[in-house]
Amino acid sequence: MENSENFIRRIREENIKPIPRWRFTARNSMIWVLVFLSVIVGAISFSVILFVIQQIEFNLIAHMTHSRLEMWLGLLPFLWIILLIVFILISIFGIKKTRKGYKFRVSRIVGANIIFSILLGTMLFLGGGARWLENAFEVNMSFYEGINDKKIKMWSKPEQGYLAGTIEQVYDTSFMMKDFEEKEWEVVITHARIFEMVDLAGGEKVKIMGSLLHGNKFIANEVRPWGGFGQQGRKRGTAK
Amino acid sequence: MVIIKTKCTELDDREIVRLSLQDLQYFSCLYERYAPRLLKYIRTISFAGEDDAQDILQEAFIKVWRNLNEYDEAMKLSSWLYRIVHNETISHYRKKSSFGKDQLVDIEETRLKDLHADVDIGPPQEDKLDHTYRVLGLMPVKYRECIVLQYFEQMSYEDISDILKIPEGTVAIRINRAKKLFKKIAEKEHISF
Repeated sequence: MENSENFIRRIREENIKPIPRWRFTARNSMIWVLVFLSVIVGAISFSVILFVIQQIEFNLIAHMTHSRLEMWLGLLPFLWIILLIVFILISIFGIKKTRKGYKFRVSRIVGANIIFSILLGTMLFLGGGARWLENAFEVNMSFYEGINDKKIKMWSKPEQGYLAGTIEQVYDTSFMMKDFEEKEWEVVITHARIFEMVDLAGGEKVKIMGSLLHGNKFIANEVRPWGGFGQQGRKRGTAK
Repeated sequence: MVIIKTKCTELDDREIVRLSLQDLQYFSCLYERYAPRLLKYIRTISFAGEDDAQDILQEAFIKVWRNLNEYDEAMKLSSWLYRIVHNETISHYRKKSSFGKDQLVDIEETRLKDLHADVDIGPPQEDKLDHTYRVLGLMPVKYRECIVLQYFEQMSYEDISDILKIPEGTVAIRINRAKKLFKKIAEKEHISF
């Protein structure tokens, strides 16, 4: 009894008070909010990564004869990949700091986090949120280079065989178009493969693989829709 | 005026916590109930002398009092107390390298039997009980504490998980490794039992 008496006396003399319950509740709530936000940001990052990957035409990259790695690295959404990793780490840290967080192995927390990010991210991607968000970043953040900018860069190399722009006039064996720098081009499509989703008419945005003939004349091998992959269509000059 | 012992025995842990928050006197029940066990635990895992161990215990109980509102009734109070005492001990242990390895704590022979059987080193002999302690002293703290909690404090995996704040699977792995290490150290140092 003597020790406990001394102890109680010490608490009284030093006027030591218990920390109020609300501070623990606030701390725990903040941790859960942090975890929740991290999972949401992780899911958003994943959805944008999905969107960007959807926009990258892997089959096309496989056809490219040079700088494939450079092309890959140029197109990958590093900002979003880094955000995804950072927020997964934050949520792991947060979950570990919750009352029962220590009960779970890090591998399980990472696994659950990735599954949540994939599920929520896929829903966001399918709902069109990722496209909207990527576009919003591109428009409002000066430092951010969106997938559209990257695609324009990639498809503005006529000397390397990549050209893109908006069709203006269509003729039997060619069409006139303006690239993204407003330069006029005559594109010869006599032997070109026109993808099914391409509507060869004025106002249609297309991307073209082929070769630069001279000046503003370009011989097309393939004409693809600007957005998405498109289905391989018939080759001009062959029977339907 | 502290609460008399007979009144303390009528109360369970959770009631004592609730009453302590209303009246400090009831905290003495908690102190009386757990201090001896916790003091022994401090000495066993840290090899601290009696005075050092008392200081650690006092500091730990101050923390218990300050954080009493954080206690989650879903957990055993004993696990929560051991956790705070454990953290306080490790914190002191890291600061003070002078904790004597020659400070011995009485270990009950009955509690050593299970350890000896599990490690497969033959039954403990009365005149060699300190040998077990010598081996423990040569083990890293993270393994030593697992052995102490399981065999000397007779805690379940769930309790140890709550005290050390590690998953139960990790507790099992550590105890397994600790037992192997115990035998290995005993053989290497030619310590017989």
